[in-house]
Amino acid sequence: MNKTDIQIAICGSAGEGTIAAGDILRSALAGAGYRIIAFDAYPAEIRGFGKCVARLRVTTEQAYSLKEKSDVLVCLNDDHGIPHIGEVRDYGAVIYEEKSIVPLAEGAHVSAHILPGQVPYPVPIRELSERTTGAVRSRNMVVVGYIAGLFGLSREPFYKIVDAKFKNKGSVAVQNRKAFDAGYDLGAATFKLDDVQFGAPGEMFHATMLNGNAAVARGCLDAGIDTFFGYPITPATTIMEKLASEMPKRGKRLLQTEDEIAAIATTIGAGYTGARAATATSGPGLALMSEMLGLGVMAEVPSVVFVSQRGGPATGIPTKTEQADLNIALHGGHGDAPRIVIAPTNVDGCYRCAGKAFEMAERYQTPVIVLLDLYLSNRYETVALPAKSPFEADSDKPLAKQDLGAGYKRFAYTDDHVSPRALPGMAGGMHVVTGLEHNELGRVNEQPDVHEAMSRKRHEKLKAALSHPDFTVYKRFGDEGQVDVGILGWGSSFGECLEAMFLARREGIRCAALKVVMLSPFPVDAVTAFLDDCGAVLVPELNYQGQFAQLVQAETCRPVHRYNRVTGTPLRVEDIYAEVRRLALAATRKAA
Amino acid sequence: MSTPRHHVVIGSGVAGNQAAETLRQRDPESRVTMITVSKLPFFNRYDLPRVFRGERDWRKFVIYPAEYYLDNRIALRRATKVVNVDGARRTLTLEHNETVRFDTLLVASGASAYMPAELAEYQPLMHGFGAFRDAIAAADALPKDGHVILMGGDTIGLDLGRTLLDVGYRVTVIAEKHTFWPHEIKAEERPLYIEALAKMGFEVIDGHARGEIAAVRAGAPGLAPRRVVFHDGSEIHGDIVMPFFGVAPALDFMLGSGVDIERGLLVQPSLRTTNEAIYAAGDVCQIWSDADKRYHFYHGWKNVRAMGELAARNITGADEPWVPIQDESLQLSADGRIRSPFWEYA
Repeated sequence: MNKTDIQIAICGSAGEGTIAAGDILRSALAGAGYRIIAFDAYPAEIRGFGKCVARLRVTTEQAYSLKEKSDVLVCLNDDHGIPHIGEVRDYGAVIYEEKSIVPLAEGAHVSAHILPGQVPYPVPIRELSERTTGAVRSRNMVVVGYIAGLFGLSREPFYKIVDAKFKNKGSVAVQNRKAFDAGYDLGAATFKLDDVQFGAPGEMFHATMLNGNAAVARGCLDAGIDTFFGYPITPATTIMEKLASEMPKRGKRLLQTEDEIAAIATTIGAGYTGARAATATSGPGLALMSEMLGLGVMAEVPSVVFVSQRGGPATGIPTKTEQADLNIALHGGHGDAPRIVIAPTNVDGCYRCAGKAFEMAERYQTPVIVLLDLYLSNRYETVALPAKSPFEADSDKPLAKQDLGAGYKRFAYTDDHVSPRALPGMAGGMHVVTGLEHNELGRVNEQPDVHEAMSRKRHEKLKAALSHPDFTVYKRFGDEGQVDVGILGWGSSFGECLEAMFLARREGIRCAALKVVMLSPFPVDAVTAFLDDCGAVLVPELNYQGQFAQLVQAETCRPVHRYNRVTGTPLRVEDIYAEVRRLALAATRKAA
Repeated sequence: MSTPRHHVVIGSGVAGNQAAETLRQRDPESRVTMITVSKLPFFNRYDLPRVFRGERDWRKFVIYPAEYYLDNRIALRRATKVVNVDGARRTLTLEHNETVRFDTLLVASGASAYMPAELAEYQPLMHGFGAFRDAIAAADALPKDGHVILMGGDTIGLDLGRTLLDVGYRVTVIAEKHTFWPHEIKAEERPLYIEALAKMGFEVIDGHARGEIAAVRAGAPGLAPRRVVFHDGSEIHGDIVMPFFGVAPALDFMLGSGVDIERGLLVQPSLRTTNEAIYAAGDVCQIWSDADKRYHFYHGWKNVRAMGELAARNITGADEPWVPIQDESLQLSADGRIRSPFWEYA
């Protein structure tokens, strides 16, 4: 069986159906049994101006990131497509609109920029759309059909997706099928000159294709979320949208609040009642939530906050990705306010972290921040989710009858620093909850020894999260034992770290990668052990300051090499690899 | 600072590529753009018969690697068709509606297979050989030990025929006035060359004796897939039929350009057309000969390449006349086989 590893990029203007074309393509190919990683880039404008790029990597083996070079580029728009021509590898295909309906100045057509090693495929996209549907809006379906025909893919998975997507829209599905078929027939009749080959998907990979935000929503649902409170913000909004369509069907409640402060306040309020409650926001929203998160810490109330980072500060670059909210997630707010911060590295991780966040919030009675970013929120992957929820329905520390009654100590000192929690209305569970420092009963108390003891309690109880059941706090990949270079990664960019590590190992560099999912509390021992195994350590991340590198150095007192980018786009595997290679060479020279 | 000159070359064959390379060398600051309808970069058409030996990867036919164009700053525009040239304004229009301005233009668009008008309607039943995809399609249609009918039998067809025979196919040549084109054969010597073809393994049918070709038809049940029908009512059967009636200059886009055209673009010995900014080289042009006071076509890899170089030299300031460098006579070797200098390339 031939391995398939093909990346397709579709580039167009907002409103041209670029993202929809990518969606249909990836959904159909996932339905055909291929593995998919996909990521869409789109502008801040709603329609008519900015550039949209849908990229999908189609594989038969597990892949961890998008590739540097695409094998196929579709240009629905000359202006937007031209800057991306260089992304296509030699002998890859460039598919573009054959003719312009308006006169073009020299160099304004895609064909002027196709590189000598690339294969041009001019296609009468507009003409086929108009001929089959009477309108130009089906251009995107024509190119989807053309790709399917050119590469000999079956029509059936595409029909299935088109029918499902437009099932409630009258004749739209039929029109789209016609456009697809017109493109398909032309593609199939085209003499193929590129060397892009789809192998059979092989053994059917029974998977669901989700993006990070959808996986978060699915994790919330499987964990039995009771209430969700949110205020829309890119790129977190789709978490709320997904839950809004699913929670009412399950008798659960979702409320769009007036702002982020209300969202976190209601989330903490619901958590106080014993409900599994969550909110979702981005960096600006997290800044607004910081004060109230402190209340969650002080009052020891379970709550889950999903934070999808975007470029900042301030309004920043809201439709571009960045990993620059680590510091505010770890330390945002006033006072000693420890919280659990976990960061999934892929879509499957989004599902698991979402579900586990509720367990941790309950078990350790604290806010839990799940840190995503735009790249992960919008990244599609085929994932095999469990048929049955793997999450505990109730993670509260058992409350014994003798604990209740007069003198019930809601904040009792215990061996594990977690106090049995009574919920409102529970007989014998009456207690005080306040944002002020308090004693075991919850009564306001500012005595030095109480503040010290309570601070210790709030910090120490979280350490147990480092061994939370069935949760991957960190994981090492690659060579065992001593290595030339180690890559330490977190969040969405770990996939690129992993691919760079594979590349380095193929080139003979002893290399390992460690992903750190739990960022607070920090797995100091494991990370220190990893650093000690590495001749040099590289920490790639999407922020200017090197926020994770700062954390690692502060926690381990070991030096690391930073690799930081703030381009608004994901890290590039080749760039990370180049750094790894540089470090390996430097080590070799030093040894010589 | 002055704007660099923009040299545009239409065509990416031997003449066009040689010209582009020379332009780059002699005018380093200029822009050089090469425009071709082909999706492929410059490949060796003389080598196309190798497709019938099983070589199906077009990359094995390509003469220059992709880096060559980048290193030499030659903008190669493929899958791009010129539909009009305005010699006065020095602009050309591309089919996709883009206008390109040029300071100098070299037309090296070559030639395409000539098809006699009376046979044009049967073209869907024939296999061409002008492009890589044509060769692949013909090879795909040909069964093992199959039978190929070469209509006409110009030197391109006979070159292919040599390979086909060598690989083990049966090859029939329907000889008529285009056989051996572009060689000019005296009538009395013609039988010698026909006999030589037979010695080489070709089956030769005298098309003229049968009243010339009347039609090409699909095979009937129980017969081979193709039939060539003659005016005398006779017919021959084969697996594929390939026309080789010589070539015709590819110059439709030049009809409104204002330059003189006969069958090809008419050029002076300097290869300049009647427009001082427009030159032509290769199979597309007829060159004035002071010796016999008429315009000549010149063919063959070496001639065409030399034309490309000369045109580029003259565009960039030289003033040199065309001197053919290739022997154009059809030869008979000692063992009685024919040998054409047009089969040679280097």
